[in-house]
Amino acid sequence: MKIKDAEIISLMQDPRTQEKGVRALMDAYQSRLYWHIRRIIVDGDLAQDTLQETFIKAYQNFHQFKNDSQLYTWLYRIATNEALQQVNKMKKMQKSDEDPEYYMQNLVADNTEGDAEEIQILLQNAIQSLPEKQKLVFMMRYYDDLPYEEISNIVDMSVGTLKTNYHYAKQKIEEYIKENYER
Amino acid sequence: MKDFDLEKLERKNIYKVPEHLFESIQGKVMDGLNDFDLEKLERKNIYTVPENLFENIQERVLNEVKPKKQAPIFTMNWAYAAAASLALIFGATFLFTGDDADKQEIPAHFASNKQERKTESETAYETLQSDLTSVENTHQTAVNKNDKKSFYANDIANEKTRNETKIQTVKPVKKQTEAQMNEYLDAFSNSEISELASNSTQDVYLDIYN
Repeated sequence: MKIKDAEIISLMQDPRTQEKGVRALMDAYQSRLYWHIRRIIVDGDLAQDTLQETFIKAYQNFHQFKNDSQLYTWLYRIATNEALQQVNKMKKMQKSDEDPEYYMQNLVADNTEGDAEEIQILLQNAIQSLPEKQKLVFMMRYYDDLPYEEISNIVDMSVGTLKTNYHYAKQKIEEYIKENYER
Repeated sequence: MKDFDLEKLERKNIYKVPEHLFESIQGKVMDGLNDFDLEKLERKNIYTVPENLFENIQERVLNEVKPKKQAPIFTMNWAYAAAASLALIFGATFLFTGDDADKQEIPAHFASNKQERKTESETAYETLQSDLTSVENTHQTAVNKNDKKSFYANDIANEKTRNETKIQTVKPVKKQTEAQMNEYLDAFSNSEISELASNSTQDVYLDIYN
């Protein structure tokens, strides 16, 4: 992955090969970034738009990328910011009397595959019930298996705070599932 | 045991069963759930994904990213630019200040336009002249034949002059025609002129209702 990142960076830095570089960048990271964004936003169309915007921003601001951080960390940071902006827009569009958690649970139900297991749906609902920061930390750690140090670079939080947040997030999710799982 | 019938045998469980078996099982199931470990759960993406998702995203991104064609920018040597500026300045000076010939040509051009308009007035004079001629014939007044000849001669001369002066200014034609008219009108007596005037009034009246 490291070598591949180096190739992508080299292609992106040369104006003659920049388009090829964008293609390579998307091929390498589109799936991981899409699912990261999708778990935050849930809505499929908006996630698609957000991923597109993420790649365009990455292309436009590639001159700001410093080789001292990893490429995927930098991309995750852009994707996370774009996704959070999208969530804020969604919240503004929401009816004032509607419970945000209930709104997100409905969104989960509308976007879930028909044959999804109940426990998996519960897990997604539990994630949506978390505060924003805990949600982000949990998702990057649980699904993407990112090291705390990398998450720290993405969300500008200390490793200690991240560990605490992850611990609380996991505890809340397990409680939620125990309470809501139909026996 | 010759009469043994399996159907008549009592269905019985003969195995030893621990006490509170089912309560115990239920308890264990519940305990297992309570020991639910999130880390052991399979990491799955359960959301629906449209077909060709990434192909569409890549296409849209590449359309945005592709450099748009810019209009070609020409770079010019400063010496050429200076030469072009000088040519423009001198050209403009020559065009707007011009020489005398140009100055004369322009009024002549306008005069030729005016001439066409004057020709109309000339035509009006001709019409009036022909009217007057007919009046002259009708009244059999003592108009000198020499005068008539002179009129026709004048007329022919006038025609010639008109052809010649088509490219000249209008003023000489006007003066000439006026002179002819004055000369012609002098040949009439006062009574004839008043009669012509009354006819003219009648013509105007008729013209209005035509």
